Amino acid sequence: MRILGLLAALAGLIVLPLVSTGYVVYLANLLLTFTVLCLGMHIVIGEAGQFSLAQAAFFGIGIYTSGLANTAFGWPFPLSVLASGLVAALVGLCIGTLALRMRDIYLALATFAFGEAMQWVFLSWTSVTGGPNGLRIPPATLFGLEIVSDRQAYPVVLAITLLMIWATVLIARSRLGRAFRAVRESEVAALAMGVPVRTTKLVAFALSAFFAGVAGAMFAIYSTYIHPDSLGFQTTILVLTMVVVGGLGSISGAIGGAIVFGLISELLRQAPSYQEIIYGLILIIFMMFAPRGLFAFIGDNLKRFARA
Amino acid sequence: MDLQLALLFLQQGVASGLVVGSVYALLALAIVIIFRTSEVPNFAQGEMLMAAGYVALYLFVFRAMPVWAAIPMTIVVAFAGAALFRRVVLTQVAHASGSPVNLVIATLGLSYVLKGLVRQTGFGDTPRSFPALVSTDSIMIGQASVTRLDLAILGTAVIVMAAFFWMFGYTKLGRAMRSVGMNPKAAQLVGVNLNRIHTTIWGLSGAISAIAALLISPKLLMTADMGSVVTLGFAAAIVGGFASLPGAVVGGFIIGIVEQLVGLFVSSRAITLAPFLAIMLVLILRPQGLFGGRVVIKKV
Amino acid sequence: MSKRAPGRLSALAAACFAVMSLPVAGFAQEPGLTDKTIKIGMFAPLSGPNMAYGFDVANAARMYYDKINKEGGINGRKIEVVLEDDRCNANDLVAAVKKLVERDQVFLLNGGSCSAAVVAAKDYVVRSKIPLIMLNASGDGALYPPTDYIFGAFSISQYAVGGAIVDFAAKTLGAKKIAYINHDDAYGVWNLEGSKADAEAHKVDLQVESISPTITDVTAPFFKLRAVNPDALAIVTYARPAALLIKKAYELGFNKPIILSVAGTANLSQLAENVGSKDALKNFYVQDVLADLPGGPKIKWVYDMYKEAYPDLAAKPDHPQAYMPYGIPSAMSIVNALKDAGPQPTREKVLEALKKQHFDSGVMAGPVVFGPQERAANKSTIFIKFDGTNQVLQPGVYTSRWQFKG
Repeated sequence: MRILGLLAALAGLIVLPLVSTGYVVYLANLLLTFTVLCLGMHIVIGEAGQFSLAQAAFFGIGIYTSGLANTAFGWPFPLSVLASGLVAALVGLCIGTLALRMRDIYLALATFAFGEAMQWVFLSWTSVTGGPNGLRIPPATLFGLEIVSDRQAYPVVLAITLLMIWATVLIARSRLGRAFRAVRESEVAALAMGVPVRTTKLVAFALSAFFAGVAGAMFAIYSTYIHPDSLGFQTTILVLTMVVVGGLGSISGAIGGAIVFGLISELLRQAPSYQEIIYGLILIIFMMFAPRGLFAFIGDNLKRFARA
Repeated sequence: MDLQLALLFLQQGVASGLVVGSVYALLALAIVIIFRTSEVPNFAQGEMLMAAGYVALYLFVFRAMPVWAAIPMTIVVAFAGAALFRRVVLTQVAHASGSPVNLVIATLGLSYVLKGLVRQTGFGDTPRSFPALVSTDSIMIGQASVTRLDLAILGTAVIVMAAFFWMFGYTKLGRAMRSVGMNPKAAQLVGVNLNRIHTTIWGLSGAISAIAALLISPKLLMTADMGSVVTLGFAAAIVGGFASLPGAVVGGFIIGIVEQLVGLFVSSRAITLAPFLAIMLVLILRPQGLFGGRVVIKKV
Repeated sequence: MSKRAPGRLSALAAACFAVMSLPVAGFAQEPGLTDKTIKIGMFAPLSGPNMAYGFDVANAARMYYDKINKEGGINGRKIEVVLEDDRCNANDLVAAVKKLVERDQVFLLNGGSCSAAVVAAKDYVVRSKIPLIMLNASGDGALYPPTDYIFGAFSISQYAVGGAIVDFAAKTLGAKKIAYINHDDAYGVWNLEGSKADAEAHKVDLQVESISPTITDVTAPFFKLRAVNPDALAIVTYARPAALLIKKAYELGFNKPIILSVAGTANLSQLAENVGSKDALKNFYVQDVLADLPGGPKIKWVYDMYKEAYPDLAAKPDHPQAYMPYGIPSAMSIVNALKDAGPQPTREKVLEALKKQHFDSGVMAGPVVFGPQERAANKSTIFIKFDGTNQVLQPGVYTSRWQFKG
């Protein structure tokens, strides 16, 4: 059953560009990018229980690294994807070393401040980011081929997404994943069991930055332009919202949250004047009545329905 | 820059910084009292301020209500609105999950709703202001120039903070609030009604936001997006240690002054960056903030 | 969480996509064109914080299209409008553009009120060879260097905004040293580049402070500018910081002329209230790009048309929004170009016709002028002396010396 469902979904995702317009493929690319961002957020908050409110900054670092790797060095994009992830992870490591001395709210606030500061850097470092004019991202190249349309980019974006989902599952099942959850549940108990708490947190933090960096590189594949306006706290909050509404702590929640929330946001476009009110009410009502996320909510009710 | 100019800038920076800082301090106070008792950073604090500002604008300008009636009424509305949100929405959210993240997302939801509502009225776009209640004539203090309005803002903020500290430190209600902040279970055991305390605290936080809105509107002008000023309240709270009330107040003044000095001596562009650098600096040098206690590892 | 969730979930998502992707109708000749209709894809911020920049601008363009339809359309074809919300956000705007082009199959695009966001669509539009005629976005970033497909700056080119202010201050007020305050965003950069060109020509000393549009207290930048003892203060910011600066200048007894750029003048009567005292506006000039004072006889017809087309909106406070009239010249250019392209228009013919547009909209201070290398419609501004109640039009039309250098 499960295998069949997965196969059907995969088949659907593969034929998608054949049966739909470029607009839908663009949306799919965007949602897959947010899926990877959500996976990163999931690792740090959902698995390791640490707050990070700087996802947008790492996302930006990924985008600019990838752009730079394309223009200045002419790297093929698999290399620039890796570079984007690594640069973001490196910055994450530095910030993490400083910020992870704190816990909970302090960590959240420190990363928040870092995110805001980075947005300012993006706006001011004109030679790399184009500053307030924004940056035109040149087309990525694969085997000498330029990727210029959403349709061409889609298989690559999809492949990276699947790879990152697979990696997330592997991490969750590994020793590292168990260490993450031990730290989340109780640092004292984790220490007692011999889990190096600080290193574990740092790894979670860097991994989440890596994911965001890769998402940045994915964005750079199909997008032709980036402006610092899109790299602010709003974006981080959007990702956090997706993860929480999907269901904090589960991989499918992170993926589902990204997709469902992305679609809601796109559909809300039809009701412009009430958009903010509806969006806000959705958040409030979810938190009031479906606190473990959309999918747990649906699952619970299905079970109840089956029993009745 | 010659010395004389530098001295002038310094005096002016400190004077203006104290004035705006006093409002940041109020905001920080509103954030910290909620955080101390329920561990939730309230993401809707700025929008509570904004909405209260628009209530005041409506009463003042469109209902032409006299000042002595409009101000108390605004504060009452803000108190009731915030308390109601805590009572109706957050109680249910806490009951449903208990995870602080869920509470945060719920406050985020409130911020969108309030912004959307104000925009629906059609008044949210053009920057607006109330008629000034105090004249804006300048007074020289040393070489720094401030207006009577500035002094009134600073004075009011300080009085409100003092009143709040008295309430928190010396009344029965205040003691109950502190006990909830320290150990909710124990507080409940000795007969404190947790729900009522939480509701009161949210109401108070709303009321303080309303006062902050009245004070800062002439400095900032009102738009549906004015709530973003709360970022500076957060910055102040962090610098002060986030759980400390005196820390929040000192943090507010520090952020206010740092903004001015960075603007005057470094660059106008860097003003927006200054609070975040201050946060990072404080957190690196003293992770628990200037007034925070020891960093405590949470027990099981 | 059920273990089966990922499968079900992705299947659901795939199904959603499939539904959303059903193409809408086939096309006969050029996309969006039938014997009876021309489909125009519009996008503007219809929600959120930037709604004031574009909602009513789009409404203005729409009411102009309605008027053309009532008069029989263009060569027998009625204009059909599909309107999308772009939220002034790059990702959402690009999504809107792609939806209009690929799903709705529009003939041409008429949209964009926020410059930074509209520039994001540039590569896609050029690659897809679709005419994009902006609404009121200056969008200089997409207009220089010129492309065959993108036309804009129907409100005004931001280079011209900045240059014209310096030109006015130097020529009319005789300023030799100008204190100049702009934003640290794209507008600010373009404004300053234009200003520098004219400052150089007039041998004016330009003292610049750049601030964030979200600044809370303007004391610091104002103090620094006052310290250089300027002959005039040029405020090239949005309405909120502008009101704060004017107020601050008054509080501190600054008595030199103050000139406010068009981006900060949305609502002059509210500005007078926000600065607190009429005395703050004793020596005060505002830049405008409309043909007449707001509500003046020359452009009254636009406001009348709005009231007739949208009686409900017109009854709301602050409506029509300040930038509403800018939608007219944008729609006029499209209608004119469609007419010029003849009974069998193609996108290429319309683009050629657009490049030759040179007409007076009756709404703006200057004519709409495109050319083989010119994509910015308006570069002319006027100045008004405003004392809190009365507006006195200053003689002359001002622009910038700034030229695009390949």
